[in-house]
Amino acid sequence: MITMTDVSKEYRMGAETVHALAGVSLQIDGGDFVSIIGPSGSGKSTLMNIIGCLDTPTKGSYRLADEPVEGLSADRLAEVRNSAIGFVFQTFNLLPRLNALENVELPLVYAGVPSGERRATARELLDRVGLSDRVRHRPNELSGGQRQRVAIARALATKPRVLLADEPTGALDTRTGSEIMDLLEELNRDGTTLVLVTHEPELAERARQVIRLLDGRVA
Amino acid sequence: MGRRSLWESMRMSGRSIAGSPVRAALTALGVMIGVASVISLVALGRGAQEEVAGGLQQLGSNLLIVYSGEPRGTALVRTNTSNIRPTLTETDLETIRGLPADMITYVAPATTANAQLKYENRNTVSTVIGTTPEYTEVRNLRPAYGEFFSESDVDSRSSVVAIGMQVYRDLFAPGTDPVGQRIRVNGISFRVVGVMEEKGDAAQDNSVLIPITTYQRRVSGDSNYAMIAIQAASPDVMRPLQATIEEHLLRLHRLPSMESADFYVANQLDLLATVEGVAGTFTLMLASIAAISLVVGGVGIMNIMLVSVTERTREIGVRMALGARRRDIISQFLTEAVLIALAGGLIGIAIGVGGSWAVTEFARIASHITPISIVAAFGFSIFVGLFFGGYPAWRASRLDPIEALRYE
Repeated sequence: MITMTDVSKEYRMGAETVHALAGVSLQIDGGDFVSIIGPSGSGKSTLMNIIGCLDTPTKGSYRLADEPVEGLSADRLAEVRNSAIGFVFQTFNLLPRLNALENVELPLVYAGVPSGERRATARELLDRVGLSDRVRHRPNELSGGQRQRVAIARALATKPRVLLADEPTGALDTRTGSEIMDLLEELNRDGTTLVLVTHEPELAERARQVIRLLDGRVA
Repeated sequence: MGRRSLWESMRMSGRSIAGSPVRAALTALGVMIGVASVISLVALGRGAQEEVAGGLQQLGSNLLIVYSGEPRGTALVRTNTSNIRPTLTETDLETIRGLPADMITYVAPATTANAQLKYENRNTVSTVIGTTPEYTEVRNLRPAYGEFFSESDVDSRSSVVAIGMQVYRDLFAPGTDPVGQRIRVNGISFRVVGVMEEKGDAAQDNSVLIPITTYQRRVSGDSNYAMIAIQAASPDVMRPLQATIEEHLLRLHRLPSMESADFYVANQLDLLATVEGVAGTFTLMLASIAAISLVVGGVGIMNIMLVSVTERTREIGVRMALGARRRDIISQFLTEAVLIALAGGLIGIAIGVGGSWAVTEFARIASHITPISIVAAFGFSIFVGLFFGGYPAWRASRLDPIEALRYE
């Protein structure tokens, strides 16, 4: 599903060049559950951005579902993000003016799906994450756990191959966090590839494969 | 961009506008004021233009006047020609009368002088015009009371006078029937046969008209005419007619060209063109001033859209992460700017139309709303939205999704 070969990412910070990633190679199979762990500054955000096609490597090759990603235009990358990746963020990143249903519909708007079909899909997904009675609620009318469920439903909207969760329990209490993790693992068992980025070892251990990053390298 | 995605953009923009209605209203206000002022000022300019042109038509239709002497000023009708030495002869008049009927409808000679008028113990200063009944046709004059003098009055050199409305007011007590009364014109006694309708033209309303023959015999003793007023058969023949008259009179006066002529022809068309040109420039100037306020309104839109893009950086990042392409972001913000500008434009059109109507209705100031100014204002507000919304939308679309997602 995901194949990275010797991926490097360099930034220029003033006169200095920062090596955020220095030759990372990894392999994630379809349906796998992989966690990426490392302290802050280890390059895990950069690695996540590259996996999520928000960024491209400076060197090396990245193939997502056997398609090379490097060298794609900004608009092509947007299309890949739309169809192949579902993002789950630490702070949910729901749009505050839209209700739960509309937030879930959003990726389908950019996929060009007609309104009626969009609505049906979004309802189904909210039902799937246990929020069928909250479809008209806006994010500020929902609890943290409910917001993250809406965000997960949104991430699933275009039926992406990969679910990319960046500290998905970081803003939640332990009990709610563990419910969210249960939901993610359930989705993984149903066939979605799950990539979990975290700095909590006990969370990372739940994955089938743990990738430890340190100073931009796989340790 | 397809129809569907345009619709989506409009829905998104509608939500965003509804999310901060006061801000959107204030942003639209600039465009609204600009459009309202363009519409109403152009309407006022057009109204003034039409009023002036209408006033000119009041002087008579298809009017050509041959004057003695050299061209003076731009006035078409010079009621007082007392300082001009008359050079137009009986032969000139007969030659013009002999022109084909498909060119000329009416011809009236006229000569004028200053006049001291007296009725009982009242005095007034006026202009006495010696002419023929056809003058009323050429100059579009009609008696309000009594009648104008007749051809037989001209033939018999009668001492009869038709007086202007202002003269009537100056000489007669209100309610007096002037017809049949005798007034003195430069000391000579005349019988009043009629009062002419008010024209709103002070010189005409303050004049008295007597038969040309009587004038020549008793007022001046000169058998020449100061002017010959002509009604052309149609607007189309006015310029050829002017050329024909000039040609004939130059020959009769044995003159080589119009440069050395002792007469000239004033043409209503020329005057209309001049007046409409001036009024058109005036309207254009008003419209330009108003258009400046539209541009200022556009800058207001740009300003608020830039603030909005900055405020919504994180939203833009989220949208990009979910698959929004650059053109999706551009169309979202552009649609928002255009919708705001268009809303302002539509309200501005309503205010402009209503304002022009109110000014005409209550202040009696002429205004004329032209459909083209409404269409132009509508189009211009869309343009303002596109133009001034363009840069903020482009800025939004160039955001780096990673940076935007991290924005607090």
